[in-house]
Amino acid sequence: MLNGLAIETEQPIPLPLLVAAPVEVTPEDLRARAGVCRLLAGVFVEEPSPEFLSALRAPEALRSLEEAGLRFDADFTGADPAELSDSLSIEYTTLFAASGGFPPVESVRLTGRYQQEPHFAVKEIYKRAGFELQKGRFFVFEDQLGVELSFVAGLLEGCAAALAADDVAQFRWRDRELKRFWVGHLGKWVRGYARLIERAAEHSFYREMARLLGEFAEAEIAALRLRIDDQDKGKLVVPKSEVKVAFNPDEPVCGACPGST
Amino acid sequence: MEMPKITRRTFLKVSAGTTAAVAAAPRLLNAMEQELGGKDFNPDSLAERKAIPITCHVCNIQDGAIAFVENGRVVKLEGNPEHVSTRGRLCAKGNAGMWYSYDPDRILYPLKRVGARGEGKWKRITWDEALAEVAQKLDAALKEDPNTIAVKKGRDRSGGAWGRFMNTLGSATVLNHTSVCESSKKIGMEPTWGPDIETPDFANAKYVLNFGSNILEAAYFHNPLSQRVTEGRVDNHMKIVTFDVRLSNTAGFSDEWIPVFPGTDGAVALAMGHVILRDNLQDTDFIETWTNVTVKELKDNYKPYTPEWASKISGVPAETIERVAREFATTKPATLFTYRGPAKHLYGSYNERSCMMLPIMTGNIETRGGYCLPRGMGWPQPNPQPPGPKHGSYLSTPPDYPLAGHKVSHLVPFWIAEGKQKINVYMTYQDNPVYTNPGARAVWGRLFKDEKLIPYYISMSSHMGEETALADIILPDCPYLERWEPESMPNSLWPWLGVRQPVHASLGESRENRVMLRDIIHKLDPDGKRGMKQFWNFKDGEDYMKQHFDNIPGLKEAGGLKFLKEHGVWPIYGKLDPKSGKVTDKTGREIKAEYGLHKKELSDADMAGAVVGKDGVISKNGKAIGVKRNGKNYVGFPTGNRVINVRVDQWAEYGFNPMPTFKRIPWHETMKEDEMILSTFKLNVHKQSRTAAVKWLAEIAHSNPAWMNPVTAKKLGVKTGDLVRIETRVGHMVTKAYVTEGIHPKVISIPTAFGHWEYGRLATLKLKDKPAFGGTEDADLQNVWWDDRGVHPNDIIPVVADPIGGSQGWYDTVAKVTKAGPNDKYGDIQGDWQKHVEAYKETMRYAYTGDLHRKMHPEMASWGGPESVKHKAGGGGH
Repeated sequence: MLNGLAIETEQPIPLPLLVAAPVEVTPEDLRARAGVCRLLAGVFVEEPSPEFLSALRAPEALRSLEEAGLRFDADFTGADPAELSDSLSIEYTTLFAASGGFPPVESVRLTGRYQQEPHFAVKEIYKRAGFELQKGRFFVFEDQLGVELSFVAGLLEGCAAALAADDVAQFRWRDRELKRFWVGHLGKWVRGYARLIERAAEHSFYREMARLLGEFAEAEIAALRLRIDDQDKGKLVVPKSEVKVAFNPDEPVCGACPGST
Repeated sequence: MEMPKITRRTFLKVSAGTTAAVAAAPRLLNAMEQELGGKDFNPDSLAERKAIPITCHVCNIQDGAIAFVENGRVVKLEGNPEHVSTRGRLCAKGNAGMWYSYDPDRILYPLKRVGARGEGKWKRITWDEALAEVAQKLDAALKEDPNTIAVKKGRDRSGGAWGRFMNTLGSATVLNHTSVCESSKKIGMEPTWGPDIETPDFANAKYVLNFGSNILEAAYFHNPLSQRVTEGRVDNHMKIVTFDVRLSNTAGFSDEWIPVFPGTDGAVALAMGHVILRDNLQDTDFIETWTNVTVKELKDNYKPYTPEWASKISGVPAETIERVAREFATTKPATLFTYRGPAKHLYGSYNERSCMMLPIMTGNIETRGGYCLPRGMGWPQPNPQPPGPKHGSYLSTPPDYPLAGHKVSHLVPFWIAEGKQKINVYMTYQDNPVYTNPGARAVWGRLFKDEKLIPYYISMSSHMGEETALADIILPDCPYLERWEPESMPNSLWPWLGVRQPVHASLGESRENRVMLRDIIHKLDPDGKRGMKQFWNFKDGEDYMKQHFDNIPGLKEAGGLKFLKEHGVWPIYGKLDPKSGKVTDKTGREIKAEYGLHKKELSDADMAGAVVGKDGVISKNGKAIGVKRNGKNYVGFPTGNRVINVRVDQWAEYGFNPMPTFKRIPWHETMKEDEMILSTFKLNVHKQSRTAAVKWLAEIAHSNPAWMNPVTAKKLGVKTGDLVRIETRVGHMVTKAYVTEGIHPKVISIPTAFGHWEYGRLATLKLKDKPAFGGTEDADLQNVWWDDRGVHPNDIIPVVADPIGGSQGWYDTVAKVTKAGPNDKYGDIQGDWQKHVEAYKETMRYAYTGDLHRKMHPEMASWGGPESVKHKAGGGGH
């Protein structure tokens, strides 16, 4: 979906709000993190293909996911491949693509609307970093979760390559870009959103993958030594006491105006 | 010489006597004015935002608007100052229109139903998959009978694309929403003077009679007309008298609000006509020259309709009727406006005609400040065009309603259930009958859930409305800010053409409707061998618009579509004057409207080959093109005989009274003391169903307590906020009361647009019907401070059909209202299908084929009965 291009920029890049001291990383570590990102991007960017599901249900893959703490139910591990593909397509649509669900889109999560500032901001970031969005089976917004995760994966892979090549400048540039992206975008919404999906999902596949997403995000933010407020929060209900209005929201209907009978 | 003493009184005299001179005196110092729109700037960067002229389509007024786009998204909408009708103003609904585009509940992909209908389980599919399935279903239906393919359209502004589509398929089963809108107003007017609506010249009127129209807030053309009403009041000291069951803001703005019992406006209008004719206040010359009756015939017809008679029926004092009638007849110019108040009743067509007779008999037709014909402009359709269907459709042109030229679509579920016409594929476009029609989910919901009656249901929609939630497949349509559409509306005295153009690319995989229709046809006829593809030869929406606009004389020279893309509207009559807010010419004077359209004389070229009949009708090539009066050849009115038909002979063929008359609703005459009339109304920030998803509007108005008069409330022991139970013949509901003097004591009235059970999170205040999908997960909903979404009354409103115009009798429902009991809870609502069926059967008895028709028309005793008339396909009164 999100393809890297060999485009670099000389634009001065402002530092993120909080920059951690350099941490010891290896190319292997970076590639492993990128791999998790790619996996999660594949899960959330569109309905899983039979091939993707087959690969995920391979014994080795299942074992590694279990070791990571994921506990899939029989609806994932024991289902007929065709039925599984179908049921996950329906669950994906219900959760992410139909009216009344939770679009996995940063603009929606942070502003309540599609195609708002985050959409255009990340589009600009991708362009600047030499990435472009290609059409998959369905249209996706640039600030869709799977696309943002793909971008992070691309940056991590770039860091790994730079590190392997001892290209310090390139590594620093990618690393700064990565941190900035977590601070400015993904980190703002993905943790609360993951908790929400974990609660709302009926199928164990999305429940567990949402858990993995949340824990991965927490771990990444910690590894990068960033401090980012979770603006999404994934709240079910906002208490009235937290709603700021310039009048009394408990006012009876029609105001019960003085003099009304 | 002694100088006269100057006193304060002298100043006042001088001031009063020199008003005109002061107005003409040069003024060099003016207060600084801001730009009256057309430009917008980012408040931080001060960069000018991109301005794209569009035509608004939140409701159906079609205001000229501008979308300001910044970084690819619409950040603001405002009025287009170049638009002659709306003059830079846009209402609250129009200002909030971008919410449709960015709504998180918008449907962005084709969705295929995977559970039971209405269960809410969907699977996202590709366009290829969706088109293949739709084409396969249509193909199968075509092989059986093209008429088994039906569409029901609501706010269709495609400019002819839907007609092209159904004609391409060869289906005549085209249904609309007009019978729940204003069809009896149209059918009252069309056979009388031609068009289906009037254009009152409020700005120049001295006196206005307003029957049942909330001009300032919700009626047709409320934005342009409310501007003119305000000008008339402020600049012209115009008097307005409003007859309405409710103290709307228009009634409150009026000089007099006269509460009237529902459905009796026509009786009041007839009684006013009686006074005018009795006292010889009519315009005899106009009547004798421009109508098909004499003054004597009119006087004879109006004789029984005395103010005392009308007073007993309507509750309006006879002396008020006398006074207002004389004021109206003796104040010139005067005009009149109606909307749903008179028309949405069992005999709404009669009511409408009775009202429009007042400006006719006083000669206030096509005069400055009077009651004018609508002015609109057309556009050509791309060629080649498909031929029409080979056979008529029962549902589209029901034989029991031959005069209802705008259909009787709200009775369709009963006709389908009775097997009057088979349906294989049913489509909806911009139409949500499960919410907006009488019976709502109890009738339409039941119909759509029945897979035997509706085997395959396609919804073309951008939002998950109550109807779309029951579909088998959803094709994602674009909201108005992403569509190409031609426009023209007669919403002022200056005709115009406009365009709606996308302000950015469609979101997701939504497609504008005309492109979707083209894609379906191309799937059905990929190689053109079926002869369908040839009618759908356009690259995209813009290309289609070029075919509409690029060859219109005048517009072509101005640049055709290019001009419209830059300005949004054509022609541009002048410039918006910042001081007056009016469109003015180069000299600063307001542009003048043209009056007396019927008195335009035919040219010699027009008359070449024409024949003048005995009655003065001028015909050419078998078509009436004008009328000869006083030795001159005029174009006359756009009726079959080019005059105003006070007597509509066609109505008499079906046993209806051809002259202005009134029929009281029989079940209103037998109401019990504790019964009331249940009516509904629209608020100024909502339309029927689609604004519930617009947050700014939902924040302003989101619940809908029932209006009730203090006298009634006292009897019931109810105060504002208390729960009341409302029972009708088809069901019951429980809602909150709002006690106010602003409602007739015998009426309980509930605003619509609330109480949605679908239409997204904002309308329903929930996400999915499962615990985890609780309520306010998305960030913006954190600001939703209200938790009352209202209660929708349509489930308990039975169908009523005007046997002439086909309109739903929205305001004919008798209801029993009581204080809610211990088992009643807020939001309870239940409608019963069987009881709705009984109501349907009852209303069919008033059709010209029904057993009550003759009883209701004793004055038509000589009529030969239904067997004496030949059924005419298509109905229509014109």
